[in-house]
Amino acid sequence: MASDVDTAPLIGRADLLKSVRSALLDDVAQGHTAAVFLTGESGVGKTRLLREVGAQLRDAGALVLTGSCLDIGDASPLHPLLQALRRFDAELSTSHTRTSTAVRALLQMFAEETAGPDGAGALLERVSRGLHLIAEGRPLVLVLDDLQWVDRSTRQLLLYLLAGLGDLQLSVLAAIRAESLQGAHPLRRVLTELRRLRSVRVLDLAPLDRGATEQLAAAVVGRPLGAESADQVWQRSGGNPFVIEELARDLRDGRDGLSDTLREIFLARVDALPQHAHAVVHAVAAGVEPVQHWLLARVVRLPEQELIEAVRATVAHRLLVSADDGYRLRHRLVAEVLEDELLPAERSALHRRYAEALTSAEAELHQARLAHHWRLAGEPARALPAAVAAAREAERLHGYAEAHRHWSAALQLADAPAVGTRTVDRADLLGHAAEAAHHCGEHARALALLEELAGAGAMSSCALHIRRARYLAAAGRSAPAEAEYRRALEAHDCTPRERATAAAHLAELLLHLGRYADAGRRAREALELTAAVDGATSEVVLASAALGFSEAYLEDPDAGLAVVRRALEIAEQAGGPDDVACAYLHLAELLTGPLNILEEGVVVARRGAERVAELGLGRTYETRLLAIATNGLFRVGQWAEAEKVVAAALRHRPSGADAVELLLARCRLSVGYGDIEAADRDLDAVATVLAGGGARHVIPLLTLRAGLAMWQGRHNLARQAVQRGLTESRSDDVAILAALVWHGLRAEAEAHASRTVPVDRTAVRRLRDVADRVARKSEKAARPVRDVVDGFLALCDAEVSRLDGNDPELWARSVAEWDRRNHPYPAAYSRLRQAEALLARRSRVATAGKLLREAYRTAQGLGAVPMTSEIRTLATRARVTLDEREPAAGRDGATDAAGGDELATLTAREREVLASVAEGLTNKEIGQRLFISERTIGVHVSHIFDKLQVRTRVQASAIYLRNGRG
Amino acid sequence: MSEPVWGPVHRDIVDLLADHPADVPAVVDHLTKLQDLLVRMPPLLDSCPLADFNKLYLTITTTVLDGLYDDRFVDPVFLSRLDVEFAARYFDAMRLWTDSSAGTPKAWSCLFERMHGPDARPLPSAAAGVNAHINFDLPFALVTTFDHLESEPMDGSDQHRDYLEINNIFAEKIPQLRRGYLERWQLLIDMLNGDIDDWYQGELVDYTRDVAWRNAQKIWQCRHDPAAHECERNRLDSTAAALGRLLLSPLGAFLQ
Repeated sequence: MASDVDTAPLIGRADLLKSVRSALLDDVAQGHTAAVFLTGESGVGKTRLLREVGAQLRDAGALVLTGSCLDIGDASPLHPLLQALRRFDAELSTSHTRTSTAVRALLQMFAEETAGPDGAGALLERVSRGLHLIAEGRPLVLVLDDLQWVDRSTRQLLLYLLAGLGDLQLSVLAAIRAESLQGAHPLRRVLTELRRLRSVRVLDLAPLDRGATEQLAAAVVGRPLGAESADQVWQRSGGNPFVIEELARDLRDGRDGLSDTLREIFLARVDALPQHAHAVVHAVAAGVEPVQHWLLARVVRLPEQELIEAVRATVAHRLLVSADDGYRLRHRLVAEVLEDELLPAERSALHRRYAEALTSAEAELHQARLAHHWRLAGEPARALPAAVAAAREAERLHGYAEAHRHWSAALQLADAPAVGTRTVDRADLLGHAAEAAHHCGEHARALALLEELAGAGAMSSCALHIRRARYLAAAGRSAPAEAEYRRALEAHDCTPRERATAAAHLAELLLHLGRYADAGRRAREALELTAAVDGATSEVVLASAALGFSEAYLEDPDAGLAVVRRALEIAEQAGGPDDVACAYLHLAELLTGPLNILEEGVVVARRGAERVAELGLGRTYETRLLAIATNGLFRVGQWAEAEKVVAAALRHRPSGADAVELLLARCRLSVGYGDIEAADRDLDAVATVLAGGGARHVIPLLTLRAGLAMWQGRHNLARQAVQRGLTESRSDDVAILAALVWHGLRAEAEAHASRTVPVDRTAVRRLRDVADRVARKSEKAARPVRDVVDGFLALCDAEVSRLDGNDPELWARSVAEWDRRNHPYPAAYSRLRQAEALLARRSRVATAGKLLREAYRTAQGLGAVPMTSEIRTLATRARVTLDEREPAAGRDGATDAAGGDELATLTAREREVLASVAEGLTNKEIGQRLFISERTIGVHVSHIFDKLQVRTRVQASAIYLRNGRG
Repeated sequence: MSEPVWGPVHRDIVDLLADHPADVPAVVDHLTKLQDLLVRMPPLLDSCPLADFNKLYLTITTTVLDGLYDDRFVDPVFLSRLDVEFAARYFDAMRLWTDSSAGTPKAWSCLFERMHGPDARPLPSAAAGVNAHINFDLPFALVTTFDHLESEPMDGSDQHRDYLEINNIFAEKIPQLRRGYLERWQLLIDMLNGDIDDWYQGELVDYTRDVAWRNAQKIWQCRHDPAAHECERNRLDSTAAALGRLLLSPLGAFLQ
């Protein structure tokens, strides 16, 4: 009988195994991530394949962590990861002391985590650091089974790590039951989004074909099957390996007649079990897997020896499997078969025994399991405290979705007649449940719970209105939110502090609604109210920002700026760290945003970043401030500096929207530099993070994709990205829509110019329609918004003319627009096109030459390689000399008698790189020194070679030293 | 196994289904290619009952795409995600059917089964497809979309308005259905799907427009509870399948 426990050989999956292995290990470049998601019906062999691949990867030197998600529906956040770590910890022998310490440290970190303001993001970062230490440089593979039951926190963690934000070479292999994807499962959308990335594969595990079916059956039986039996196995199993194996076993053991369904097979097996074994199977089926031995012993209450024999029998009958961490049913199908076999009374008795056993001993997922078992044992009064504890536990790990479920369960339990009203403060439960629902985005539920709380009369009416307004605003229901804030302000029981809070938040809300005058009025009111209250600094900062922006939009920028500056002073004098950070953030946003005072905005953002780092808010606010600085630096054309800042910001390993913002900023630089690989990588990383939700960044992502595709001459790709963007953009976001439309028209114009792809006339018509709509809408927008839009619309008009005659005047207009706003990159692009248009008409060749030289200087200064090379190509064709210096140019001070600075054409960043090259550092070392990727250094080096017209590092170093550096 | 599921165009359809369109222009493209293949299915050219549905669906999705370009919707982000997710379910059903999977929704398989039959009439066939797609696929597509956008199905929201706008598109594009038997047809849907109480409360009109929306709200509430969710899915599948069979039965011919 013992041989029966061994699993049959893996048949018909050799190719799949090979391709999964290479996708997860062999084909993964150093420092990259990869993922394979296996989908398939129950019994098709997903778990088996996970095990097989895991073993192979382990043999190949990877560190493999395995965990599975649970279906108890109220699991705790990050459970599969914790389980994987515990298993790994148990496996480690004493020989790996260092790893073992690292594993313990990470487990300890989970135990000590406390909920904080930015806890969720910081937790992700700490987890990735911990994994880094455990991996010790080995590739790390996370194998997760039953991903259809994954909790939200684990899902976010996976996306974070796969986006490369954890700076970890990681592969994920996960199995998902196909059946569950058919409904409304959240993983559906995640997979749709991830499927398109090069590093992700979604493989559908199909049933075996007829040949493989027979092969597998023959392997189990031990001899080839007769034609009739083979046919029967094939017909009945439909190629499902699990069913094939079981049918073949019945066949081999000569059990009477083939059972028709799996259900019959298993019921027959269960019936054949000795009595004690019978009890064991049912006990495990009622438990939360894996069921540890000690726990099982307490539930079935058998003497040790008899228990062991009973377990052996269940294993031999292929109903249970045993592992180091406990017992499981061989397959979930078994649980489904067993479900109807117990009487309700029997089942609740089992749950009671589980609950009693767990009460006296700590175990994994302690509180969640206790609540689960007590509830099913029909003991609401005892389940309640466990549910509350489980909710708090989940909140501690920032798992608000799980916490919300536990709080809701607690509320239900509290309503049971068996629970006395005095034992529990229902209002308290309601308050917690509402807040958790609000945090995890269950807006309607949060509001419903709040209504119930209001009915209980446990809150002051003012506090209630404020809270309701907050929930409504989070749900995007601005109008009722506004009404609630107004009601809060009118409430009689309002404290002065509450009134100030309500007014400040109302001002902010109105600002978002674009009602600047109203926002300004409310903000002033709030500021007056705060004057009478001590310690209302947060309200001062909030109200000042609302006032500052509303003034800026209403065209009194100086007044607004003064208010926000003043708020910063107040925050520094009287506020907490968060207030200071917020004040810096608002000031920097105001300057770089509507006011377009970029240089000062960048300075404020960077100073703010230093200040908040001192205050200990590096992860959140420093990151955000540095993102503002990066975008400002990009626009004013200080790309080398921008690159440095973004690298510094990413060292905080931000998550979520902050990470997306920074990756997009870095990608924008890479697109400008023409570093296609780096840009692609960042775009994929952004897409990975966005697969978890968040529509706001999709348009900038698609715009960059289009821009990148155009430099590569892949006009079709650019067109597709723009089309997708046009169908998914909110029409009120006129500025980003204008940029997208420009990319679309430019793609068509480039297609026209390249003569490789035909122009899509329908697309052009649509783009022009959208451009018209943007123009109409921006007329009603505030001045600062209109300004940005006008620049892009000028580009749009000019691109359209490129399709038909190319009017240099339109390009001249675009040059003027962008010069006025001090954005050198689009200005240089417009000059290039203006020159091109002039040259095509063979008129004003001298002007064209001047424009080209100007554009060339800018592009060179930025390090904008693709644009530079396009300028060069045009110049060569038109016989324009680019190096010709204008005689009056004062910036050529370096061109003295001594022979001129050969390094003049290099950007600041390129000079830094060259200095390191001259020191003899490798690209990798330079990358580490300057905080940028090795590949980017490679791009810089090739630009340097290009500009200095050398071919080796030695030649480049020689020029560097000859020019008196070093 | 004898004949491939999709006959002479089997290979082409399998290749096409290997792709998962991720935006509305790609969905339209996909449906267009599919139409070219389906009309080539035997026994006669242009006789495939699924092609009758596909053609209608293509027309509707093209109109939705034009609407997105023309700023017809309040929340295009929501609507385009919904449209992609909605279409994905139709393609999923085809994929499952291709694999002869037992998991193919019954609502769809009653139409797929007719593929080789001689006597399915275009209008009932298209109606059976619309039935499966709206009464079964749509509620789940709605829930997935809301979940992804971190929003929720709320009456009177922008998304609800856009959703109803799609109803208008359906109505515009099915003039034959609108004239005369749409009432009869929707009456059937309501009888099968609805709670009998709704009839007595005289909410019939509102209710008919909102069957899928209401079902989505129901699923939304139990989306974290695998057992309840599965139960709801089976219920919707059975109801839609029953109606589908009715539409394709000789009785359904009265629609034509």
